[in-house]
Amino acid sequence: MIRVAGLAVLLLITVALSGCTGDPGGVTVLKVLPAGSLLIPFEEAEAEFEALHPGVDVQLEGHGSIQVIRQVTDLHRAADVVAVADESLIPDMMYRRMEGSEENYTDWYIPFATNEMVIAYTPASRYAAEITSENWYEILDRPGVRTGFSNPMLDAAGYRTLMVVQLAESEYGNETLFASLIGNHFDPPLEVTTDAGVTTIHLPQIMKPSDQDLVIRDGSIYLISLLQAGGIDYAFEYRSVADAVGLEWISLPESINLGSSDLEQEYSKVKVELGFQRFSSIGKERTGRHIVYAITIPANAPNPALAEEFMDYVLAQAEKGRPGWPPPLGKGS
Amino acid sequence: MRSAIPALLLLAACTALCLLAGCTGTPAGGTVPADDFSDWRLTLNGTGEEVLTLEDLRGLPAAEGHGYAVSTVGIRYGPYRCRGVDLTLLVDMAGGMGERDQVWVSAPDGYLWVFDAEQMSGEGFVTFNEDLKEIPSPPLSIILMYEQDGHPLSYNDGGPARIAIISQEPGVVTEGSAWVKWVDRIEVRRT
Repeated sequence: MIRVAGLAVLLLITVALSGCTGDPGGVTVLKVLPAGSLLIPFEEAEAEFEALHPGVDVQLEGHGSIQVIRQVTDLHRAADVVAVADESLIPDMMYRRMEGSEENYTDWYIPFATNEMVIAYTPASRYAAEITSENWYEILDRPGVRTGFSNPMLDAAGYRTLMVVQLAESEYGNETLFASLIGNHFDPPLEVTTDAGVTTIHLPQIMKPSDQDLVIRDGSIYLISLLQAGGIDYAFEYRSVADAVGLEWISLPESINLGSSDLEQEYSKVKVELGFQRFSSIGKERTGRHIVYAITIPANAPNPALAEEFMDYVLAQAEKGRPGWPPPLGKGS
Repeated sequence: MRSAIPALLLLAACTALCLLAGCTGTPAGGTVPADDFSDWRLTLNGTGEEVLTLEDLRGLPAAEGHGYAVSTVGIRYGPYRCRGVDLTLLVDMAGGMGERDQVWVSAPDGYLWVFDAEQMSGEGFVTFNEDLKEIPSPPLSIILMYEQDGHPLSYNDGGPARIAIISQEPGVVTEGSAWVKWVDRIEVRRT
């Protein structure tokens, strides 16, 4: 009787102690939230890190960059590592007090990579044999050519596409380029205003093109799928994403591709005003910037030491300039 | 032997506790409010304003269908059997909408999404099959879902009420950005 009761007490203690640590079977779960364009590189890092760290289960959950941060700040979900495609989002959205705490969600971040906007296509795309870095805007404007980009409401690559095309007007001395490639494919056409040297593209509440020549999808993976199926001919993408999935691509001049830290001031002459404020935690205006990826560990991360190890691993791999990864920041960036 | 029975019962109870308690964990480790929705109110705003309780919402004519969503990076949620109230009915309660009006759906977490008249009639959505290949859109409806797979919608799933885009055909996947969770306000905006 005493032995059985003792066993029962032992079981009770076991329940109390083992209770729900999220660590079943001795496995430590590391929750990592990367931006969509980091998913492929982070999947590689996940496999490699787990091989080096038996007992660690890295769990990736990709979102658009703003949604990545909102998982922590607005939805109060626990995360060990946060990595986004726009460094400005971390101070804008995370340098504020956590609920019920004197600490901020974070007070620091590490910029670790850049990227550039390119035009991706396949050998089956119309005029694939003709398109170059010099004539791309003429090719995209030809009748029957279908071009895609992601929804600026949801994806940084979407509003960056609009910035690229607007910046191209100055680059090529063609003041109707934005209207002919994008603006006039909406009804009514997109409104573009200029004030004190800054051009602002005003978007409607619903990004719905009025014809078949322009295609907008929620995220880059859907554009890739359409490209591969022949549903569109060209898509504005990050260079690393086009590389990672094996698409052909043409590069764009540095003055418009958002890939040079030296041209930050030029990029900032274009803004996009979204049709509505999708999140109360961030405004609806986006300003042209050099593309910089950044990573941080939230102050309330469940496994901060392990998170730092994972972050260090990712930073070391990014520094190598691996294929399909956003290129490392150059010296001086 | 008889004297050991209470202890064995205690042992059995403890074992059952172990099995039942079993580390289901708080999803994502976050602070999850209890699913007590008695304070929840839905504000309908158009030409007039109406405020509904969950009981009021569940008392309205119900719409049912298959719902299946996908995130911007390709994470699929579902398939679900969805039950709720057709958004057009709620908009009608707010005074209806014209062809150029919009429906703004928002939640206390700060999320907002906008539907136009075409979408309110179930058209203009991008649809995929389960392999995420685009397919022609079957007839769709937007509902404010309060029941998922026969159970009240939990807080973690966006309860007590979230937007769902449903079809009478199974396996139709829609873009998840419109599936607003924790809806507490539906507003008709005149344009």
